[in-house]
Amino acid sequence: MITLKHFGYRYPNTEAWALRKISLEIPDGQFVGVVGANGAGKSTLCYALSGFAPHFYRGKTEGRLHLNEVDVLESSLGDLAGEVGLVFQNPFNQISGARYSVREEIAFGLENLGLPPSEIETRVSQVLAQSDLSELAERSPFALSGGQQQRVAIAAIMAMQPSVLVLDEPTSQLDPHGTREVFANLDALTQERAATVVLASHKLEWLAAFCDRVLVLHQGRLVADGEPAQVLADEVLLDYGIGGTRYTLAARAAQQGGLVSAQRALPVTLDQAREFFR
Amino acid sequence: MQSSSLYIERNSGLHALHPLTKLALLGLCLVLAFALPDIRWLLAAFGLLLLPLAAWGRILAPFARSGFSIILPFVISLALIQGFFAGGDTALLTLGRFAFTWEGLLAGLTVSARLLVALGGTLLLMLSTRPDHLMLALTERGLPQALGYIVLTALQIFPRFQDRARVILEAQQARGLETQVNLLRRLRLLVPLIGPLILASIVDVEERAMALEARAFSRPGQKTSLISLHDSGFQVLLRTGLLLAALALIVWRLLPLVRA
Ligand SMILES: Nc1ncnc2c1ncn2[C@@H]1O[C@H](COP(=O)(O)OP(=O)(O)O)[C@@H](O)[C@H]1O
Ligand SMILES: [Mg+2]
Repeated sequence: MITLKHFGYRYPNTEAWALRKISLEIPDGQFVGVVGANGAGKSTLCYALSGFAPHFYRGKTEGRLHLNEVDVLESSLGDLAGEVGLVFQNPFNQISGARYSVREEIAFGLENLGLPPSEIETRVSQVLAQSDLSELAERSPFALSGGQQQRVAIAAIMAMQPSVLVLDEPTSQLDPHGTREVFANLDALTQERAATVVLASHKLEWLAAFCDRVLVLHQGRLVADGEPAQVLADEVLLDYGIGGTRYTLAARAAQQGGLVSAQRALPVTLDQAREFFR
Repeated sequence: MQSSSLYIERNSGLHALHPLTKLALLGLCLVLAFALPDIRWLLAAFGLLLLPLAAWGRILAPFARSGFSIILPFVISLALIQGFFAGGDTALLTLGRFAFTWEGLLAGLTVSARLLVALGGTLLLMLSTRPDHLMLALTERGLPQALGYIVLTALQIFPRFQDRARVILEAQQARGLETQVNLLRRLRLLVPLIGPLILASIVDVEERAMALEARAFSRPGQKTSLISLHDSGFQVLLRTGLLLAALALIVWRLLPLVRA
């Protein structure tokens, strides 16, 4: 369980709070999407949940942030590393640079956790297969495409089996097939290991299809929090510069054009759209 | 393996040696390079010890190629400088007031041969040892993890750095900045190149530090390794032998000085 109480965060040497008065509870095993316009605070929330803000970025915090019984604000990154995994945006810079193959790159975090080599072998092979990376296992991580690097970065954190995975736009360089794969793998983690997943993304359709819950950030505030079907269909997302899923936008246009009854709830997934337009 | 390391993958006995054994061998080579009295001994060491080892490691061709291309400029410049300026009576050639002497040439060649033995030892290690294996061997013996990490990343990141410089250069050429002109102007053109390069690198360093944190690099406690380096009682003995030989050589060379 992750608990935030009136949590706020300010980067060093800045006036404005990047996150303000955020209160929420995320139970174990939940798949939570985070949406918001550029600059809304998605990345900052990811850093906060994983301890990088303030332990890496420094800066000021207010309120409280707990992971189970652990006070994240009082812990060190070294202590948190096994508990919370962070995948951030730029995949290239997530390659450690200290290892020569994708297999070894994924093993790197496990070596740092001090796991026995046999366990490392097992976990790495598992993750490679699951992430569709087995064929790239012996390649240099630097010789991969951006999308492949992105999948390696995610796999490297997944292999560490943290109880909370935080991902900041982890599929920005992936095609729809790759994106589905990542979402499906994360979904499986929440179900099989009751891992908690927090994922910031602009890909609303995918969030709608896989998440249990969606948080909406606007200028550092948590302005909406609920089920995807309800949150993502809300017209107010337009005001926040987030837009809507393509299904929602088409359906709303159809309603406004009088093609469909205004009573029907707007769809956020393909299946719902099928129902809506029937 | 995209890295600016010299390592060449081969299936050989030399490759299979523990990195510390090869490091001890390098130690002996360095001592040989500076302790052997004259050029005949140096060339003998190179021909009878280093070359056969390179052949055993199946890296004779790259060993010769790298060795030759690195040592050649030294041979030429040392021979010239020493030949003209080291003095001696046997003039081989006179150019005005300057004499190129046999003694000077020999002195230049001897220094070159010393370099050759030292370089040969280094090449044997570098060509036959994966950098990560070497660093693992050293961190297992107490080298700080962070230092080992920096060396390894530097080796891998450096080619990326060159790529990026090339990309920026091309972008600037596309924008009409001349980049293919004479040296002086090129130096001036470096200035706009350096800005973006440094800026990008600072962001990189920060993000890469984050990436390391995310991978538990700074976690306190014992780390493990997927790689296991093969060592044996024989190699421990061999290392001890190599180091004792190096020590003996040093003593043998220093003894006359101490007596005097
Ligand atoms: N390293 C930083 N230093 C100072 N301010 C920052 C830093 N990173 C982000 N910010 C500011 O924090 C706010 C939230 O940014 P961010 O979390 O990156 O938003 P998002 O990921 O939703 O685009 C923005 O106003 C941004 O300018
Ligand atoms: Mg962001």
